Amino acid sequence: MNPLLQQVYDFVDERIDLKTLEAKMMKEPIKGGSRWAYVFGSVLLFIFIMQAVTGVLLMFYYIPSADHAYDSTQFIIHEVDYGWFILSYHFWGSSAMVVMVFAHMSQVFLWGAYKSPREIIWLVGLALFGIVMAFGFTGYLLPWDQRAYWATVVGVEIMDKTPLVGDFMARFLKGGPTPGQMTLSRFFVIHVMVLPGALMGLAGLHLFLFRSAGPAGPFRGSPEELKAKTDFFFPRQVWKDIVAMAAVFLTISALAIFEPVVLLEQAKPDPGDYAPEPEWYFLFLFQLLRWKLFAGEFGQFLGATAIPAAFMLLLAALPFFDRSPERNIFKRPIALLSWTAVMTAILVLTVSAIINRDFLH
Amino acid sequence: MAHPATTISSVKLAWALSWTAFWTGFPFKAIVVVLLLAAHMPPWEGAGLIVLFVLSAPIDVWALGLAARTFFLERMGVAVNGPVGVNLWWQGTALGAVTLGVAYYAVGAVAVLCKQAAAATLDAVSQFLPIPVAERITIELMMWATPASIVAIVFLLIWLKLFGWRIKWVAVALGQTSSGDLQARVREWDSWRVPADSILMLLSFTAVAVLLTVTFWVLLPVTTTHRHPDYPPPPTVVVKKQVKPEELLKQTDAALVKANAVLAVLEQEQVKGTQKAKAKPASQGK
Repeated sequence: MNPLLQQVYDFVDERIDLKTLEAKMMKEPIKGGSRWAYVFGSVLLFIFIMQAVTGVLLMFYYIPSADHAYDSTQFIIHEVDYGWFILSYHFWGSSAMVVMVFAHMSQVFLWGAYKSPREIIWLVGLALFGIVMAFGFTGYLLPWDQRAYWATVVGVEIMDKTPLVGDFMARFLKGGPTPGQMTLSRFFVIHVMVLPGALMGLAGLHLFLFRSAGPAGPFRGSPEELKAKTDFFFPRQVWKDIVAMAAVFLTISALAIFEPVVLLEQAKPDPGDYAPEPEWYFLFLFQLLRWKLFAGEFGQFLGATAIPAAFMLLLAALPFFDRSPERNIFKRPIALLSWTAVMTAILVLTVSAIINRDFLH
Repeated sequence: MAHPATTISSVKLAWALSWTAFWTGFPFKAIVVVLLLAAHMPPWEGAGLIVLFVLSAPIDVWALGLAARTFFLERMGVAVNGPVGVNLWWQGTALGAVTLGVAYYAVGAVAVLCKQAAAATLDAVSQFLPIPVAERITIELMMWATPASIVAIVFLLIWLKLFGWRIKWVAVALGQTSSGDLQARVREWDSWRVPADSILMLLSFTAVAVLLTVTFWVLLPVTTTHRHPDYPPPPTVVVKKQVKPEELLKQTDAALVKANAVLAVLEQEQVKGTQKAKAKPASQGK
């Protein structure tokens, strides 16, 4: 190392024990060696940082009031230098975060990495999944156009159907009989204050628990084979993480340039010609609710609340009832079939919702 | 003894190599795509598509070569020498072009046929059991997308089988079995890939990253190209040249001086012309 850099390093090391920190961060042993399948967690962290950076830049111009939210967003798009790109990056970044959460959860599920002793990591991960979805839901309202307004109306109505807490939650979020200034203020505060704080805290806990339990490693291979292939986090896994982050950054940038954010009309209590629709990652649920089976008060409760809540509870309970130490997905046919069925259902229902939208128009 | 490359399934081998090569080349192609988009050149048509294709070829050759060498050395203990990337790329591309061409028509035909069959079946069922629109859309989608996906997967497997067969051929022709253990082989491969001067490599990477970043921001439009109808682009204002009286007076003086000079020349010419005209009749009379 350059003598000057060495001096700086030694100075910092003397004060904060940099060597131990470096050993802990970079010399984490990875059983079975580095893998592309392990990049999702790091990529999620990267997307969150980018969302925070672009979010702060947007807040320099955004005004969270019902009178000015729409105009300030249009100002960002049309007047601020590169504002359209920053806003579009933030918009597509939220979608990327949802995709990566699904990919990360799928990888953990298929690798059987939720099993003992990693049950708490899985539970914290599920809470983080909820936070990411809440980020998308609260951020969607902020531009205050027809799309934002009506997606929120539909979302809050769905929430209203939850027994016991639904009415309170809906009233708390709306802050009045119809979405207005109070709703926007609450969504804004939750989006920029509550959720980032919760995410940072839980992500820190998630990482701490992960480092304590250690990576699960591949689900195949004898202990001798895995030991022979064991590698440190640096440099191979770090390199893979960096490449994956670059790929995600470039993909989001390409989407932001190709399909930038264009607002609809300013929000108003009359939907007019606009057919309300949630963000694409909620489309499967939206389509499910169109089925006759889920019509009526009870049907809507069943489709919008009971089934998703039961599914989340099932996921939370998974490490506690699936106690077999077998992690190889090809020797866990129920797990493989369940994952395939859920993913196929989400895909089919999402495509159906898109076809249905064209059919309605 | 059988060559290690022949012991693995062709489909698995081709999948492992093409999957790895795809993700290895992806970030580089993504850089090209982003720069093209920023420069208003859609990478799916015209010049943008040509640029993407031309730049993708060497990226794919490099990625396939890297993936193949790593896979054979680390998993099979076979060191593959020679132009393995080029060899695999042209064979994979040729096979892919044929398979994709046939698959395009086969999948399309199956989808059309199944869509018609699904519509007819559901119409017939609706005669005695009404099917609501949302349910009908999903059932119809499942009825045509399932067979179409199966046909697409079959063609993918055919391509993988053929490509795997060619990969094995290349491995047998160009490969030599390595005698070292796994760690020794990995170290050997690392020593080929990692340059001796890591600082130089880091500096080069940084320089390229900075150059690409600057290029991106230079190419990217400052204001949106997708304007909202209520926010039309500001009218182009023709900037009027500012009037500076002193300069204007100087220019006028200069123009007057020039005009006087021209006038003087013209007057002289006129005088000469009159004199010639007067002199002519006299000379004619001689």
